[in-house]
Amino acid sequence: MSKDRVSRRQFLSYTLTGVGGFMAAGILMPMVRFAVDPVLKAEAAGEFVATKQKVADLTNEPVRVDFTYKQKDAWYESDVTESAWVYKDDAGKIIALSPVCKHLGCTVNWGSDKAHPDQFFCPCHYGRYTKDGTNVPGTPPLAPLDVYPFKEKDGYLYLGKAKPRKEA
Amino acid sequence: MKWISQDVETYLTAKEYVDTAVVPLYPVSLGEGMKQSAAAVEFITLLTAYLEKQFTGRILLFPPFTYLDSEQWDNILSDIHKWEDSIVASGFKHIFYVTSDLEWRSREDELNGTLIWLPSIPLEHMNDSQKLTMIDSQVKQIITIFTQKWHKND
Repeated sequence: MSKDRVSRRQFLSYTLTGVGGFMAAGILMPMVRFAVDPVLKAEAAGEFVATKQKVADLTNEPVRVDFTYKQKDAWYESDVTESAWVYKDDAGKIIALSPVCKHLGCTVNWGSDKAHPDQFFCPCHYGRYTKDGTNVPGTPPLAPLDVYPFKEKDGYLYLGKAKPRKEA
Repeated sequence: MKWISQDVETYLTAKEYVDTAVVPLYPVSLGEGMKQSAAAVEFITLLTAYLEKQFTGRILLFPPFTYLDSEQWDNILSDIHKWEDSIVASGFKHIFYVTSDLEWRSREDELNGTLIWLPSIPLEHMNDSQKLTMIDSQVKQIITIFTQKWHKND
């Protein structure tokens, strides 16, 4: 038997504090969750998809990186494969560009126009973009290529949802 | 652009840029040839969808022209000529037919558009990434047919 015996008064105050604490936590927790919900949501929307591309293998020459995610169209769920043009710029920073032409949505290719081997080229209406994705004036596209946010995890490249660039 | 309301709406506002119609040709046979017909349809569907992705801004992928295998060819041809007339009348400059039905090869001259014939590759035992690589390599070859044709007229 312990020497410091717990008095009835002490026992009651301890249990009341304990139970009261649990109840307070039970009430507060959902409230806090509701309050920070927008923060949690934003993270879910910025989901990153794994690609097979190793970050270490990237050079300053754009390569096509394919990645697949699930898309739901009404009740029909399907795997959608999309691509990105990925390279490292002169400073060694990774750039991941969407291949979707800003004119009418064709797929642009790197260097497929013989006259402009260091530009992205859209075969549909001969739109061109420089390596950093800026649209070449005088060609049909009116905006630069969208950019994918990216992450590096275990040496592999992860891509998020392509975002339009603000500066035109 | 696909034959869905959203894309068709875009098409109507950008008509001058979309000058190429792509019409898949689907043979339907019942009985013995059923499985083969299904495999062909599966292959061409996937292929044209990928093709549409590459050339979204310049082609309109039509709903497939579907015909019974047992139908008289005179009837099939007269039907497709009706399609052709309407497509041309609505302002398309190029028509491409995509099919894996061998019969069209011998009737290519009777068509007004360009026929792209591909042997159907069975997809049933492939996984998704194999399918993608295979379709990708096929479409790469077809792409040059399109760009050449466009270059001639632009």
